[in-house]
Amino acid sequence: MATDLAAALDVALQAALVVASGLTLFAGYRVIRGPTTPDRVVALDTIGTNVVAIAALYSMATAQGFFIDVSLVLAIIGFISTIAVARYVTEGDIIE
Amino acid sequence: MSDDAPANEDVAAAESPRPSDVDRSTTVVARTVVRVVVPIILVTAISLLLQGHNLPGGGFIGGVLTATAFVLVYVIFGLDYLQATILDRRDEVDEGMVSVYRRLFALGLALAAGSGLAPLLFDLPFLTQAVLFVEHLPLYGELEVASALAFDLGVYFTVVGALLTIIAEVGAE
Repeated sequence: MATDLAAALDVALQAALVVASGLTLFAGYRVIRGPTTPDRVVALDTIGTNVVAIAALYSMATAQGFFIDVSLVLAIIGFISTIAVARYVTEGDIIE
Repeated sequence: MSDDAPANEDVAAAESPRPSDVDRSTTVVARTVVRVVVPIILVTAISLLLQGHNLPGGGFIGGVLTATAFVLVYVIFGLDYLQATILDRRDEVDEGMVSVYRRLFALGLALAAGSGLAPLLFDLPFLTQAVLFVEHLPLYGELEVASALAFDLGVYFTVVGALLTIIAEVGAE
């Protein structure tokens, strides 16, 4: 039973990695073709979140805790970049 | 930076009918989220700094994360907020915090340059490594302090001082 659960978790992790990678590719298409700047910004933010998810999933798949640090730092920097870009788009000036 | 609405009068800006005044101030959601997130970022930065000698992390990424926490405060609360609350000075516009950052930069360079002297405190030769185990800490358990932490602290202060000097100078323009 435990081996079944471990095998199922492994399959689920691999599938989630594939899905997250594919979504990153689609978001990359939106970054390149996006008609407006907010489209590109949202797509870049999605790519950042997907990379965080890929790092966390890879950390679970390989049972190494190092990649959790990667996802933490990436999530923090993605949050800040989203806020800065949103402020730049709405006001044209980031720090006042 | 062209109109005259102050950044931190959000009550007056919220009651004003003119959209230009409303646009200058950040929303309550952003302010509240930043108040919650900035201490978490600082704790993450310090933990990355302390684990840096044998795990991923170190002075540089800790400094970058600390600088991003300050950048978040700058973006949401404006350039005058930090020196009005930390330094309690409102008159000098852009000299207050920048001089603090420059001193931090110089302190970090001095620490990194003098970090080879740290093993002398443990009766070891110059430029070697000493390890100190601090045990029975509250909430943390055991902490392993290597003398490379002195160099990491120097890098940390240098990165924080340099990045925040650049950001405060560029943001003030």
